[in-house]
Amino acid sequence: MSAGKTGKTGAAWIVSGIVGVVFLAPLLWTLLGSFREEAAIFQLDWRSLSNADTWTLSNYADAWRRAALGPALLVSAAQVAIIVAGGLFVNSLAAFAFARLRFRGSGALFAGVVILIILPVEVIAVPMFFTARDLGMTGGFGPALAGLTLPFMAKAFNVYFLRQHFLTVPVQLEEAAVIDGAGVWRQFWNVALPSIKPALATVVVIDVLTHWGDFLWPLLIATREETRTVQIGLANLFTQPPVQWGDILACAVMATLPVLLLFRWLQRYIVTTQVQAGIK
Amino acid sequence: MGLLLNLFFPRAPGLCLWIAIFCTGVNFAQAGTTIRVWSHQGQESENRAMREIATAFNEAHREQAWAVELTFFPDFQYTEKLAVAAAARDLPDAFDLDGPLVARFAEVGLLKTLEDDFTAAELDDFLPTIRAQGTIGGHLYALGSFDSALVLYYDREMLARAGVQAPEAGGGWTWDEFLAACEKLKAAGIEPVGLHMNESADEWFTYAFSPVVWSGGGQLIDADSWRVAGVLAGEKNVRSLTQWQALFSRGFAATDPVEPDPFGLGKVAMDWSGHWMARSHLAAKGGKLGVMPLPILEKPSAACGSWCWAVSARTTQRDVARAWLHWVTGRSTGVGPLVRANGAVPARRSAFADFPEYSHPPYALFRAQLETFARPRPRTPVYATLTQRFAAALRDISRGADVAARLKKAEDEVQRVIDRRRPRTSVLEAEGAR
Amino acid sequence: MTAWQKDFGRKAPLLLAPALGLLALFVVWPLIRAAWWSVSDADLLAPDRAHFTGWTNYSDLLGDPRFRRAFFNTALFAVLIVPLQTVGALFLALWVNRPEPAWRWLRVVFFLPVVVSLPVLAVVWSLLYQPEQAGQTGLVNAALGLFGIEGQAWLRDPQLALPALVAMSIWQGVGLQMMVFLAGLQSVPRDQLEAAQLDGASAWQRLVHVVLPSLRNTTVFVVTVTTILSFRLFVQPYLMTRGGPDDHTLSLVEYIYEMTFLNLELGRACAAALLFLIWVGFLTLLQRLFFREIKA
Repeated sequence: MSAGKTGKTGAAWIVSGIVGVVFLAPLLWTLLGSFREEAAIFQLDWRSLSNADTWTLSNYADAWRRAALGPALLVSAAQVAIIVAGGLFVNSLAAFAFARLRFRGSGALFAGVVILIILPVEVIAVPMFFTARDLGMTGGFGPALAGLTLPFMAKAFNVYFLRQHFLTVPVQLEEAAVIDGAGVWRQFWNVALPSIKPALATVVVIDVLTHWGDFLWPLLIATREETRTVQIGLANLFTQPPVQWGDILACAVMATLPVLLLFRWLQRYIVTTQVQAGIK
Repeated sequence: MGLLLNLFFPRAPGLCLWIAIFCTGVNFAQAGTTIRVWSHQGQESENRAMREIATAFNEAHREQAWAVELTFFPDFQYTEKLAVAAAARDLPDAFDLDGPLVARFAEVGLLKTLEDDFTAAELDDFLPTIRAQGTIGGHLYALGSFDSALVLYYDREMLARAGVQAPEAGGGWTWDEFLAACEKLKAAGIEPVGLHMNESADEWFTYAFSPVVWSGGGQLIDADSWRVAGVLAGEKNVRSLTQWQALFSRGFAATDPVEPDPFGLGKVAMDWSGHWMARSHLAAKGGKLGVMPLPILEKPSAACGSWCWAVSARTTQRDVARAWLHWVTGRSTGVGPLVRANGAVPARRSAFADFPEYSHPPYALFRAQLETFARPRPRTPVYATLTQRFAAALRDISRGADVAARLKKAEDEVQRVIDRRRPRTSVLEAEGAR
Repeated sequence: MTAWQKDFGRKAPLLLAPALGLLALFVVWPLIRAAWWSVSDADLLAPDRAHFTGWTNYSDLLGDPRFRRAFFNTALFAVLIVPLQTVGALFLALWVNRPEPAWRWLRVVFFLPVVVSLPVLAVVWSLLYQPEQAGQTGLVNAALGLFGIEGQAWLRDPQLALPALVAMSIWQGVGLQMMVFLAGLQSVPRDQLEAAQLDGASAWQRLVHVVLPSLRNTTVFVVTVTTILSFRLFVQPYLMTRGGPDDHTLSLVEYIYEMTFLNLELGRACAAALLFLIWVGFLTLLQRLFFREIKA
C-alpha cells in the first residue's frame, strides 16, 4: 500500500521534474550561459561543458560595473516600491467605491476607466512627458522619482481587477461591521481589504513586473545618471561596445533575482486554498 | 497595514537608506555659470576620457567660473531622448549627436551655427569629411572630435592557406576579385568574410553598405531634389546590391552570425568592419593582420561619419558653449584624449602628429580614405526614415528577397514620407531671434 | 441600511478621487493633447509650430500599407494568442490544482517566465531562435533536431516570424493566467462536485458540467484582459525582429513608436494612437456584449 503511494509520488516528481526542466530550458540556458566564456556560450556539447576554461565569473563583475547595477537596482527598487505602495492604496480605494457604489453614471465611469487599460506607455509617451515636464517632474532626483512613479500609481487594470474581487466579497461581512458601528473607512480597511489579500498580492506582483521591465519612460524622465533604472543599464550592454552576450546574460540574471525573491515571499498570499473562509 | 509597514521600514537601516537616497539628489548650488552637456555612452574608456575632459575644462575655466555638467545616456535610445527634450524645449546647452541626424535638427532651427565661433585657419585644420558632415545648407552646425573609417580587414595567413593573393600595400580588390577570393577560401574550408549582420542597430547596415551603392555609381537619395523616387531603386543600385546579395546566396557570409567578433576569434578570414576593431584585431592577429579598402564596383568608396558636437540654438550661455566646443574638439584637450581612448580617427589634421600609428597600416589607410574618397551619408532631414527602410531592405535582401522589388518597396515608403512633409520654416526665424 | 448607503454615497467621491485624479492627469489629459496633435502636422522637434490639418493624418494612415500591415499583424497576433494562451492556462491550472507537492512545485515553474522581465526574455529568445550558422545553432533548433525536425530560421522567415513570437509570448504569459484560473478554481462549489461524484459522473463530465460553468466569470475576465494586452504588443517585435522580416511582425504600437521617434511625425503618430484606442475599445465592447449574450 505505502509502496504504491510512494511509487505514485515518485512518478509525480519525475514527471513534474521533466516538465519543469523542459519548460524552464530557456531560463536554465540563460543561467548557464552567464557563467561561460564568450566564445563558448553557444556550445552545448559535453566536451565544451566539461572544459573548466569555458567557465567564468567575470561576466557578473563586468555586467555589474558596465550597467552600474548597484545604484540602478536601488533606483528600480525605489521606483517600484513607491508605485506599488501608492498604487495599492489609490487603486483599492477606487475599486472598493466602484464595487459598492450605485449612482447614475457609475457604470459609464467604470467603463471609461476600463477603456484606459488599452493604452501602453509607448502610445502616449510624448504627451505624458509634456505633462510630467509641466509639473516639474524632470530634473533632479526627487522630481524625477516623482516622474517615475506618479503617472503609474493609478492603473485602470488594477482598479478593474480589484473591483472584480471586491464584488466576490459578500456584503454580509461589511454589514456585520456596520452593525458594530464601523464607518466606510473602517469597512474598507478592516473588512474588505484583508478579504482580498490574494488579489492584492497578485496586483503587487504584476505592478512590480510591469515597472521593473519599463525601459522607455525611465529614459525619457531621467536626466541624471542617478535616476538610472536596471533596464537602462541592461540597454547599455546592448549597444556599448564591446557587445558581449555573457555580460548581457549575467545582467539578465541579476536583474531578475530581486523580483524572484519578492515573488517567493508573496507566493503564499497569492494561492490560498480557501478564499472565502468564515462566511458559512 | 502591517504588511505595508514591514515593506518600507523593516528596521531603522531601512529608513536611513531612504533618507540617504534622497540626500544624494540634493543639489548644492554653485556660483558661476554651468552649462548642461549631454553625451552618448560609448565604450567605457571613451566615457572615462569624456569625464576627464569635462573635469579638465572645469579646472581650466575656474577663473571665469565656467563649468560643464556632463550627463551620459545609453546609445540605445539616445536620439529618442534628444527628440523628446527638443519637443519640450529642453535641449541641453551642448550635446553630441550622430552625424547624419544633424540635418533634421538643423532643419527646424534647433542648432546654433558655428562658423562665427571658429577661425578659418581652425576650420581648415578639420578633415573635409568632418566639415561636410556638419554643414547643412551652407552653414556649419556641428563638429566632431573624431571620424570613422570602414575597411576590409584580412588575415594574411588564412588567405595564404587558401592560395589567395593579397593586394599590394594600399591597393584594393575589384568586386570580382573579392568574390573569387571568397570562392577560394570557401573551397579551402575557411569561412570567407564576416559582415556583422547580427547588429541590432539599423545604422550599421546603411553605414557599412552604402559604399557598395556608391561604388556602383548610385546614390541613396538625389542630393539636389532630396527625392528617392527613381534613385534608391534605380538600375545601378539593383546591380550593385545583387552583387552584394551574392555574398550570402553563395555562402560566403553568414546571414545570422552569433558572435559579435568572429574575425577576432579566428573564425572568418576577412572582416568588413571599421576603425573600432583595429586595436583588438591588432592584438589578436599581430603581423598577420592586413587591411584593404572595400571592394570596388566602378569607383572606390568608403563610409565615414561619427558623433559630432552641436550647440542648442536656444542656449543662453553662448560663450561657455563656444568654449566647450573648442575644448572638446581641441587637438590636445579633446581630440587627443578621445582618440587615445576609442581608437577613432582624429578630426584635426594637426592631431595626427600626436599619433605615430598613422604613419603605417591599418591607420594610414583610414586617414587616406577620409582625405580622398570617403563620403558622408546623405544629409537629408528624412535620414532616420531612409536608414531604417534601407536597413530593413538590406536585411531582407541578404536573406534572398528579390533585390529590385525590395528596393522599390523601400523607395516607395521613403518617398511617401518625403511627400508628406511640409517645408519647415526655421523655428528661430519664426521667433524672430536672428 | 439606507443610512450606511447614504454615508457611503457621500464618501464615495473621496474614495474615487485619488485614482481618478491621477488617471485624469496622466492618461486622459495626455490623450486630449494627443487628440489635438492628431489633427495637425506637428513635428516632434517643434510641436508648437503645428498647423491644423483636419482629417489628413487619419485618411493618410488608413491608406498607408504599412499601417494596414501593422493592424493586420496585431490582429493576427491577438487571434492566435488569446485562445491558445487561455486554453493552455486553464489546462495548466487544472493540472497543478492538486495538493501533492510535486504539482505545487510546477506552479512556480510555470509562473517563472512571468517574473523575468520582457526585454530580457526578448533578447534571450532571439538567441534561442538562432538558425544554424557556422556550426552553431540556437536551443530551439537544437531541441527540434533531437526529434528529427529540421531547424528553421524562425525570426527571419516571413511566415514563421509571427508564430515564433506567439509561441514565445504564450510561454511567457501563460503562468499568469494560470494563477488567475487557479484562484478561480478555489471557489468551485464543493458540494456540487461531491454530488456529481456520487452520481457517478466521470472526471470529464465533472469538468464540463460543474467546474467550467463556475469558472465563467474568470474566463471572461481572462479572455478580455488577454485580448487587450495582446494588442499592446511592442517589446517582442521591437527587440527581436524590428518589425521584420518585410514588416511581417510590425505591430501597431511599434508603428506608433516608429512614427513618433523615428519619423518624428508627432501629429501622425497621435492619430495612429487614437485609431488604436478606438479600435481596441470597440473590440473590447464587442467582447463584453458577446459574453453578456452567452450569460443570458
